Amino acid sequence: MTPFLLLQALILLGLIITGALVVAFKDLLAAAIAFAAFSLLLAIEFYILQAPDVAIAEAGIGAGLTTAIFIIAIRGTKRFEEKE
Amino acid sequence: MMKIALYSAILLVLFGGLMYLAADLPFGAPLQSDMDDYFIKNGQEQTGANNIVTSIVFDFRGFDTLGEATVLFTAVLGVGMMFRKMKEGEEYEND
Amino acid sequence: MKMTKIVRTTADVFYPFCLVFGLYVVMHGHLTPGGGFQGGAVMATGAALLLVAHAYEDITGRLRKTAMKILEAIGLMMFLFAGLSGLLFERPFMGNWMAFTGKWFSHPVAHGPNPGDLNTAGLLPLLNIGVGIEVLGGLTIILLYMLSGIHAEKKP
Repeated sequence: MTPFLLLQALILLGLIITGALVVAFKDLLAAAIAFAAFSLLLAIEFYILQAPDVAIAEAGIGAGLTTAIFIIAIRGTKRFEEKE
Repeated sequence: MMKIALYSAILLVLFGGLMYLAADLPFGAPLQSDMDDYFIKNGQEQTGANNIVTSIVFDFRGFDTLGEATVLFTAVLGVGMMFRKMKEGEEYEND
Repeated sequence: MKMTKIVRTTADVFYPFCLVFGLYVVMHGHLTPGGGFQGGAVMATGAALLLVAHAYEDITGRLRKTAMKILEAIGLMMFLFAGLSGLLFERPFMGNWMAFTGKWFSHPVAHGPNPGDLNTAGLLPLLNIGVGIEVLGGLTIILLYMLSGIHAEKKP
């Protein structure tokens, strides 16, 4: 039970860190990759909580398709956030 | 600086309130579970599928899945309308 | 605009594996976790890998918009007609008439935990395949529309 809880705590900590990185990055491509890492960690968390259906959907949609859509959108616009 | 402190305080209060509310909720033990027990007991027998989630999503609650498929179709239709080819001489309305 | 040769080669090598894994998730939807929507999303991820790595001109030969539109329509039609076919056999709409009849997809299922048999569950595999095809076509065509929009805007 204890190593399981430790793994879960590590994943939740990683979720908070990657979520903060998504907001903090000025390079939008790096932010998109950080969002993919966020989705992957969330999928692992769903799998630990015994919801494998949701985990597969999250890994496919969140980590795969959303990142592709963001990368295509960055390709069409600009890569770096402008300074205020 | 003042703003950041204010935002942090608001976030902390919201977080504390949510945690206080969530502390009393029973997790994983619903009060009424007659329907769940029925599905878990009879799902495999009535649909012949080993995966109970699929037997619920596609058989007991098939209309939900039909609605979901229709929603996806409509969303793709909307995207297709947004990216359609302009005809000869057609202009954007709000340029 | 296309990515470097390393990325393109990796995408070319990996996308068949994505498609095969998605097909596995769809076909075993009534036995293992997953189903039509999840499997279709995994297959669409394989297509997205190709779309992100290559330039739009190089990809139009392999993934066509018309084919994806037809796939999406076929998927929804398959779902609807599989549901309507219950009416022919004196069952309600979407009634599972195929299970336990001894023909396709209808072996008797062992009760309790068992290793699983692909030939069970009646109508559910058909509905799974329909939704899988629809999700594959729909999600891929959204990406294709976005890429073609960028392509048309940058050209003149």
